[in-house]
Amino acid sequence: MHIICCVKQVPDTTQVKIDPATNTLVRTGVESICNPYDLVAAEAAVQLVEKYGGKVTVISMGPPQAESVLRECLALGAHEAILLSDRAFGGADTLATSYTLSQAISRIAAKDPVHLVICGKQAVDGDTGQTGPGIATRLGFNQFTYVSEIMGVDPERNTITVKREIEGGAEVIEGKLPALLTAELELSTIRYASLPELVRSLRQTVRVWGAKELGGLPERLGLKGSPTSVKEIFAPPVRGGGLVFDSGQNSERVVKDFLDTFFEKEKRLLDGLLTKDGHAQEH
Amino acid sequence: MPKNIKGREIAEIIPDKCIACQLCIGECPINAIDMQGGAVRIDPEACAGCGRCLDVCPANAILFEKPVRKKMTGIGQKPHPLEGYRGIAVFIEAHDGTGAEVSWELVGKARELAEKLETQVLGFLPGTDVEPVAREAIAYGCDTVYMVDNPLLQKYLSRMYGRALAHMCNQVKPEILLVGATSLGRDLASVVATQLETGLTADCTGLDINPQERLLLMTRPTFGGNIMATILCRNHRPQMSTVRPKVMKLPKKDTGRRGEIRTFDLETSQEVVQVPRIIDFIPRAAEVGGVDITRAEVLVVIGKGACDPRHLPMFEELAMLMGGTVACSRPVVQSGLLPHIRQVGQTGKTVAPKVYIGVAVSGAVQHLVGMQGAEKIVAINIARQAPLVQIADYALIGDYREIIPKLIKGIESRIKVIR
Repeated sequence: MHIICCVKQVPDTTQVKIDPATNTLVRTGVESICNPYDLVAAEAAVQLVEKYGGKVTVISMGPPQAESVLRECLALGAHEAILLSDRAFGGADTLATSYTLSQAISRIAAKDPVHLVICGKQAVDGDTGQTGPGIATRLGFNQFTYVSEIMGVDPERNTITVKREIEGGAEVIEGKLPALLTAELELSTIRYASLPELVRSLRQTVRVWGAKELGGLPERLGLKGSPTSVKEIFAPPVRGGGLVFDSGQNSERVVKDFLDTFFEKEKRLLDGLLTKDGHAQEH
Repeated sequence: MPKNIKGREIAEIIPDKCIACQLCIGECPINAIDMQGGAVRIDPEACAGCGRCLDVCPANAILFEKPVRKKMTGIGQKPHPLEGYRGIAVFIEAHDGTGAEVSWELVGKARELAEKLETQVLGFLPGTDVEPVAREAIAYGCDTVYMVDNPLLQKYLSRMYGRALAHMCNQVKPEILLVGATSLGRDLASVVATQLETGLTADCTGLDINPQERLLLMTRPTFGGNIMATILCRNHRPQMSTVRPKVMKLPKKDTGRRGEIRTFDLETSQEVVQVPRIIDFIPRAAEVGGVDITRAEVLVVIGKGACDPRHLPMFEELAMLMGGTVACSRPVVQSGLLPHIRQVGQTGKTVAPKVYIGVAVSGAVQHLVGMQGAEKIVAINIARQAPLVQIADYALIGDYREIIPKLIKGIESRIKVIR
């Protein structure tokens, strides 16, 4: 079985802060990491191959330094890594990104047929979750988003059965390969890379493909292939602060003050709430 | 203006403003711009001083003065023939014969936008036996509902639904298509946008119209909720956007409203045999018990600073007393105290209760984007400078272990009076 994983290098958004004085992003000290959902996807791919045989190819679109996330996946046990890096890819929205990635997958598949593509369900910097379904649609693969468990692969019937997390529960669904899955964090537990794997990951060559290698239509790549554009960027709106009750030494008193004010000012709201559930209405 | 060795006036990046979106890298005709350690850098010797980077920069992070600022032409795609695209369409998500609430919220928003564009609100409804839902859609504000009623659409399958919705778009040509950002809606919207080769903006928290250019202004949080971006889709139609449940207000239902229902056929081919098969559905145990924090009118939200199993009964008592339920921020889920379905915030649920009571919730932006719709916010926190305290309508500064028992007592006695 040949599995391709699409991974993305993202800024560690948990570290990004806004400077309240200037309303700008404080970027200093913010590291680039592999999108957590993508790492889970790569781990799941490696586990599948360990069970059913085959190989895992990881691909990433990004600047040259995105190579580090590919090496991280190699350390987990992925077999090959290809970096899609070209200035022509820059400024891509999800439509152009899914185009570039699907072109790369088609090119890989021409030499070595692809049975499964696994992506993270979304990247933590954009949170769109659109690239995976975009790739599946372009390749004509069956698509299963929000997968929390791969229940089995049937090589004879050429099918895969997965568990998907949807509103109100989980759906167990079976479909033909080739397919594309997008991974929830529960899909796998990332292993600690062994020392030999780490050494191998650092030694292995990561191939780099640019627009020329990919072929396809240049007007569909990067900024040119992106129908959406950013008009403006601003700090999130702030809700004005309200009344402050500082409990200080006498919390008894302050809580009473608060409740008096709260019940007086929000009388309508609270009466509606507190008399519900069959309680008698006021008088 | 700084100059390079060749005497050209060059562009510079203001690092504080740069958001590393890399638009300028793609735009630079001579590849003089590079990403270095999380920030963009312009090579001063290579820069030709064309100023294109200035034009694309969304964050005003480029320092450059063009002698004569020319408007760029020939950038982006060839203009699409946009004429003939009219109307605001809403995808109506139906389960077991009823429409999802988020669809009605979007119909309500679409009505508002349609006023500004002087156009119609259209409902796009694929499914099986969905005619009652179509009538409901009219009651909530649709002028025309287009329906594809087919047994193959009984359960959601990406490709089947994708084809049905893309087909409706190709036939009806709406200028805008709104989709509720449920797991189904996000999956479907991505498929349809790819098939139609149009732009899609996920999880918008604000939608507005530029009436002159008939453009949809789509505002969404990005960078983990740290900044807001307004996105446009200039040259492609429909302009597509997904919006999370509870972000827009639910409109009033008017069963007397009149509208039209039209039907489309689903084009099916031999590949029908190949479609995936849903084997089983396992309801989530906790949700069977009726815990849905998005529906609660009062939420007592536990933060990292109150993540203590000994106090959980106390929080539950306060919530019960006010007819609400307990929710939490992300660290509380990570600690294992409460399950993910109770998490508020960007990676949890978006909530809009009447009263939100945050107990030792500091209020990271990722949390705030998930609860900004709350009518009244009460923050109980020991730290006055906590972000949630800053935006709260009522802030109680102090130790929650002292405050909450007194709150419970006080509310109990007041409830007796009300009743």
